[in-house]
Amino acid sequence: MPNIVFEKVEKSYGAVQVLPPLDLSIDDGEFTVLVGPSGCGKSTTLRILAGLENLSGGEIYFDERPISALAPKERDVAMVFQDYALYPHMNIARNMSFALRLQRVPAAEINKKVRGVAEMLNIAHLLERKPAELSGGQRQRVAMGRALVRDASTFLFDEPLSNLDAKLRAKMRIELAEMRNALDKNMVYVTHDQIEAMTLGDRIVVMSEGVIQQQGSPEELFTRPANKFVAGFISSPTMNFFDGELVLEKDVLWARGTGFLLQISPEQTQRLNGHAQRNVSVGVRPSAFSSDPAVGSPIELELVVSEYLGAQSVLVTRCGGKDILVEIEGRAPGTAGTVMTFGVPQKDIMLFDQESGGRL
Amino acid sequence: MSAPVHERQNPAFYALMTALIVMSLGPIVLMLSNSFKLNVDIMSDTSSLLFLPTLKNYETVLCNTLWYTPKHVEYCNPTFGWALGNSLIIAIISTAITLVTGCMAAYAIVRFRFLGRGSLSMTTLLMRMVPPAVLLVPVFGIWTFNYCWGDECLDGTYTGIILVYVAMNLPFVIWILQSFIVQVPIQLEEAARMDGANPFQVFYLVLLPVIKPGLAAASIFTFRIAWNEFLLADALLDRKTRTVPVTIVNSLTEHDIDWGVIMATGTLLAIPPIIFTFVASKQIIIGMTAGAVKG
Ligand SMILES: Nc1ncnc2c1ncn2[C@@H]1O[C@H](COP(=O)(O)OP(=O)(O)O)[C@@H](O)[C@H]1O
Ligand SMILES: [Mg+2]
Repeated sequence: MPNIVFEKVEKSYGAVQVLPPLDLSIDDGEFTVLVGPSGCGKSTTLRILAGLENLSGGEIYFDERPISALAPKERDVAMVFQDYALYPHMNIARNMSFALRLQRVPAAEINKKVRGVAEMLNIAHLLERKPAELSGGQRQRVAMGRALVRDASTFLFDEPLSNLDAKLRAKMRIELAEMRNALDKNMVYVTHDQIEAMTLGDRIVVMSEGVIQQQGSPEELFTRPANKFVAGFISSPTMNFFDGELVLEKDVLWARGTGFLLQISPEQTQRLNGHAQRNVSVGVRPSAFSSDPAVGSPIELELVVSEYLGAQSVLVTRCGGKDILVEIEGRAPGTAGTVMTFGVPQKDIMLFDQESGGRL
Repeated sequence: MSAPVHERQNPAFYALMTALIVMSLGPIVLMLSNSFKLNVDIMSDTSSLLFLPTLKNYETVLCNTLWYTPKHVEYCNPTFGWALGNSLIIAIISTAITLVTGCMAAYAIVRFRFLGRGSLSMTTLLMRMVPPAVLLVPVFGIWTFNYCWGDECLDGTYTGIILVYVAMNLPFVIWILQSFIVQVPIQLEEAARMDGANPFQVFYLVLLPVIKPGLAAASIFTFRIAWNEFLLADALLDRKTRTVPVTIVNSLTEHDIDWGVIMATGTLLAIPPIIFTFVASKQIIIGMTAGAVKG
């Protein structure tokens, strides 16, 4: 299981640069998740790693060995495709054993491996069927199984769950998480779904427009996002941003804008001492609002819509012309138009530069 | 309660259908029934449907391939037997060569980026626009005078006619196979590459099995053209290598036309394409890539 290092890897299609020079290192035996919005270059990165796409510049190293000139089969990687890509003319057993048959592994050993993986994935009863006779979820497992029967050093997953319905996806996510712990392999997993990223990743790499925004453990990304993009991306429902400016009054820093005046914690005040008058985005997670206005600074929000989810509700509220999401327990206390006062705790306020989006 | 409601069709519709069926089946029925008749029965104008079926015509046609010598045959003319063999050899070999080269060419045109790819693909179709009769004279000249090894020239040989048939059918085969290959999701080939297949294995183990319906359709088409072709075969083949259509026409001489034998030959001529079409069309199933990728 190699350490994989991307060094200034670039990719352009004609004049269009999809990946500006990108540095990334993936440690031995880690489950790395590349996450970002659709079209940000995740698949491209993965395909370059697989050898399906040539790179336009830079180099990839597997344990210090440059591999950009190697064909996919020489890289010892297995890949699960977003659209499954099962061979329609082979039954499931033959689909799964294709790679092993090409390597001329003895038949008895192939059978044993295919059985083993099929049992792990609960598809042993489907081995004689053709892909067309399976449901989407079963095909997805077969696609996974086809990669897993190979003893590859690195496994690549390109949005493997994105074609499943929500329930099945949640189930597979948990199974994957379980499997991840059982297999001690390098795994690189691409997804646009931050929940998948948070559940599965040892390390998450957040990308946007071909640029790595931040990488780290799920907790790191959640508690210490490097910028507004990461903060907004890694949470569900997404983080609220209030545009305003910092004002210093009697040694206390406030964030002020239309409809809100929030007190900044003493530690942040100290750190941001010289930044008064600066234009900032104030980030507050929907779950951070407290129904007790006395906690932190009070803020008045006008209820627009309430989404009742059972244990909690997500309220869409308005403050100074902007939609603000608030997550509360139970039902919304009023109907549309009700003005409610919430408290914003100091510790839950994140400040970002309005222009650059960088965390302050 | 409600039985399926059939819309009552206009009687004219049935009349039209009947006319069409008679028109298309009539000649075949005539050929089949006449092939089992003696010449006297064929010529008599009374008993066209009442006759004693006989296999004599078939025995005459196949006399040199039978294990016994039919009693009624005084002189065994081997021409028809040979012609049937020639037709089979020429049609099968030219179909095989056309398919093998056609699928590789189509794959290259669809999947590889190279200079002049678009115009190459168009040119293949352009070649179909030239009627074979136009090719006849130049090909005859070239085959007779330009490609000779010692005394042997290309005209009159299997090689010569097979080359012409391959050239004639290749454009169309490339064209159909292209349309099948573009439907194969590229991820299938990528998956095979990830599984460690080299380009040839990707082509033979993954792509070809998937486009089997296309190959079947193309092979039916090619086989039938090679089997039925008359004009070029007549001009380019000699006594030993003639195909069945040419032989039939040649046997229509002024002084003696053996209709029974001709009908029997015609029936025999129709059998191989029928068998071939049946076998090949078994491969034509809809949804060749069903289940490969998320729809
Ligand atoms: N073959 C291609 N030719 C041109 N542009 C491409 C090609 N493949 C991908 N792109 C572009 O590259 C960008 C990144 O694509 P991709 O890596 O597939 O994104 P995602 O993060 O959704 O997987 C997209 O803007 C896409 O339009
Ligand atoms: Mg993608």
